[in-house]
Amino acid sequence: MTKVKSNSESRSEDVEGPDGGWGWVLLAALFVSTSLVFGLMRSLGVFFVEFVQYFEESSQAVSWISSTGLAAQQFFSPLGAALCNAYNARLVVMTGGFLAGLGLILASQATCLAHLYLTMGVISGLGWGLVFTPMVATVMANFTRRRTLALGLAFSSIGLSSFAFNPLFQLLVEMYTWRGALLILGGLSFNIVACGALIRPKKRSEAPAKVDPDSRSSCVAQLQRVSSYLELSLLCERPYVTYTLAISLLNAGYFVPYFHLVAHSRQAGFSEYQAAFVMSAAGATDILGRVVSGWFADLRHFRLIHLLSFWTALAGVFIMLLPVSSLSGSYVALVAISLLYGFCSGALTSLAFAVVPLIVGVERMMGALGLLQLIESGAGLLGTPLSGLLKDITGNYMASFMVVGSFPILGTLTMATLPHFFSCTDPPPPQRRSLDDKDKGLNSELEQMNSLPSDTSSRSAE
Amino acid sequence: MTCMSTFCVFLHLFLLTSEASSSTQPPLAPITPLKTDVRSIKIELVNPVNLTLECTWTGNQNKLPNITSYWTKDGEEIQNSQLSVQFHNGQYNIKQVQHFVSIVSRSFPSVPQIGEVRDKPIISYMGDSAVLTCKMDDKKPKPNTWNWYRHNGTEKEQINVTVEPHRYEIKNKEEKTETRLVVNNLTEADSGLYSCGAVYAIGTTMSHVELKVIAFMEPLKPFIVIMVEVVVLVAAILLYEKSQSKKKVTTGS
Repeated sequence: MTKVKSNSESRSEDVEGPDGGWGWVLLAALFVSTSLVFGLMRSLGVFFVEFVQYFEESSQAVSWISSTGLAAQQFFSPLGAALCNAYNARLVVMTGGFLAGLGLILASQATCLAHLYLTMGVISGLGWGLVFTPMVATVMANFTRRRTLALGLAFSSIGLSSFAFNPLFQLLVEMYTWRGALLILGGLSFNIVACGALIRPKKRSEAPAKVDPDSRSSCVAQLQRVSSYLELSLLCERPYVTYTLAISLLNAGYFVPYFHLVAHSRQAGFSEYQAAFVMSAAGATDILGRVVSGWFADLRHFRLIHLLSFWTALAGVFIMLLPVSSLSGSYVALVAISLLYGFCSGALTSLAFAVVPLIVGVERMMGALGLLQLIESGAGLLGTPLSGLLKDITGNYMASFMVVGSFPILGTLTMATLPHFFSCTDPPPPQRRSLDDKDKGLNSELEQMNSLPSDTSSRSAE
Repeated sequence: MTCMSTFCVFLHLFLLTSEASSSTQPPLAPITPLKTDVRSIKIELVNPVNLTLECTWTGNQNKLPNITSYWTKDGEEIQNSQLSVQFHNGQYNIKQVQHFVSIVSRSFPSVPQIGEVRDKPIISYMGDSAVLTCKMDDKKPKPNTWNWYRHNGTEKEQINVTVEPHRYEIKNKEEKTETRLVVNNLTEADSGLYSCGAVYAIGTTMSHVELKVIAFMEPLKPFIVIMVEVVVLVAAILLYEKSQSKKKVTTGS
């Protein structure tokens, strides 16, 4: 075992640029595509005003468009991951970009609200789902030591682009009405295809090894293959399930304040501009938090999982403090807590994905991320309506923020039940079970890919 | 003259006092307006009203002078408004009124302005139909009817729906708080300034809306530019990669 390991150690530099080189180009591609997916989704509010007027529907009916889009993106994430495992990531991302653009172009011709649900919601959502998870997984596979920093930089694009897209979309709508603006947005979304083209195809060599060669019925073989692409076996592993549960709890709460912060500030007695400024301030520290936490995490002073627990717990605490700070009527306190909350919520997003390969291994990361997105989306759908309901019942935001703030804290506690949580070094991620002895070369390659994210101390400890 | 509804009306009153005694003193110059309570109130009128303005005098009851009062409008004395009042014992109040009359006489600032008109031009595509909306605030009185006008240079002509029924449609809400002008089958010539007028018995208030008609080519131009850019990028990336792999193959072997 050690002999193989020492060989692999010397070969570690030869593994395809795990830290830079083409990885930076892919990072730029991820930056652009994430902004065109999530930044675009967040800035659709400009269009909703137009839709309400044009179609004469209620704003609630119109807001379902973005809910459908987000739900579709998260629902189709495992599909995107599976297709990447079956074919290659480049094809999937390019197809996803094409679909996203197509959905928006078709939406520009919509004559009723149902058309918009179908085009902007389902088709574009499918496209976004095929883009996001594969691109994130590809970038993560191309970075090891600076993985978290790369993720932080890439996810900061969401905040930055929603700053830029809001006035841009407003301008487009004013110049070309919403139909022309959607057409142009579709064209912009086609740039994701160019981002996808940057992915160098990589062979997933151990996929055929997963299929049981003795099975006779092709149906069972198909199912087995599909389940291996979807990485459904992960659902039976305790660390992954624990982590997914923790992230779901986190997802139920951590971004709810963005929906309610303005209303809460207004209710606390502050003016419209003050409330809007609180939001912008939180958004700005969100961007900062993503980058800083990514950089800090890669300094390796602490384990990623510990940092994630720390930021998550802090985010929960600050969410709970939000209504308390405005109780005293002090605007400064509200702004301060919002800034801190924004920083923590940004900080944890960089880390949430980066921990996954430490739990499941780099090879299964694609499918793991897809499943994670799907499961956490369900919890995310729960958080906002629940807090709205609590507010309607109690009349103010105290109860809703308290409950919503408790979700990330529960998530932290769940994370604490992960195996080896309290050790100072990362445990080695699990190996694939279906490897047999004749794939020793494969084995060693996998081992070295799996051992790279760990600390050097853990390697020597083995 | 009585006050209209619940508003208190105040008069700007010049008081000339003349003493009953045959003094050789010339009549006193108008006393500077008594500043007790100066207010100007805007009243919104929808229909013509008969308005009465009231002025009452409180003064030294013992003195009981012979007072001549008159009304002024915009600083000029109204004819036949001089009134000599014989005061009886009692309580009278004189208050100050300013500019009451001007509210009625000027061009309907009292008639409600049309709210919710967009400042920015409404844009539509050729061949499409455009909807121009004018809304009156719910709290303001409801107009009797609405008219739509089209500005041609400096002139304004009313849009007659019956002349071209397939091109223009005017839809009014039942409560008359909203009107819509639907212009079908738009052409470039339809671009321009349109006005909606809320008709009241007292007059009409207008608001303006601009309509701009653009060809569908307009948004297509940036779209095509972006598409070309995407295709060029993708081709460049793929070609670069091919050339890189060719280099690797040639150096590798």
